[in-house]
Amino acid sequence: MPRISGVDIPDNKPIRISLRYLYGVGPANAQLILKEAKIDGQVRANKLTEDQLAQLATIIDSNYVVEGTLRRSVAQNIARLRDVRSYRGERHRRGLPVRGQRTKTNARTRKGKRKTVAGKKGVKAMK
Amino acid sequence: MPRSLKKGPYIDEKLYRKVEKLTQMDRREPIKTWARACTIVPEFVGHTFLVHNGKIFNNVFVTEDMVGHKLGEFSHTRTFRGHTTGTRAQRAKGSI
Repeated sequence: MPRISGVDIPDNKPIRISLRYLYGVGPANAQLILKEAKIDGQVRANKLTEDQLAQLATIIDSNYVVEGTLRRSVAQNIARLRDVRSYRGERHRRGLPVRGQRTKTNARTRKGKRKTVAGKKGVKAMK
Repeated sequence: MPRSLKKGPYIDEKLYRKVEKLTQMDRREPIKTWARACTIVPEFVGHTFLVHNGKIFNNVFVTEDMVGHKLGEFSHTRTFRGHTTGTRAQRAKGSI
């Protein structure tokens, strides 16, 4: 299994798909990287030569922010919002949606599993 | 959708002039303002604003990190503090 930027990428998938196993490389970036390296995206990862892999690694390392670095910068951005006590930071701290979505219903991704409140309307009906 | 770059950031003219005046006089007293939509520009750093939230004026001391945000982002308009925990019986006893 070839390694790029400290991550194993799957052997038996086309390289344009394999690259997406890196955090920070999606469909668009995968295409751009391969275009720059002049490698056909359909070739399986295990059919690439050492040279080609090294080339991909250098392109990614020099021009793209991926994996740990990217994760850290995202975390820092959120930490900054929290530190300046902005509205967005407050929403992050509370685990509520940040971009103005409704919270009367839905918003379960941010709020997590439903917490049933005893005595609230409809709880008896559920039994 | 973000604001058009052509227009540049929205800055409340009056507020900006007031800040400049204070900076010139080298004074740093709080500025009372309703201009929540005004973008914080680097010139504001170090000043204190009293930003209206619809009811009261909240103290906002501007730091370098706040540049690019709006004044209103730091003066919250809602008061929700969270739900109480525990059951009704526990709350009545006063254990929570």
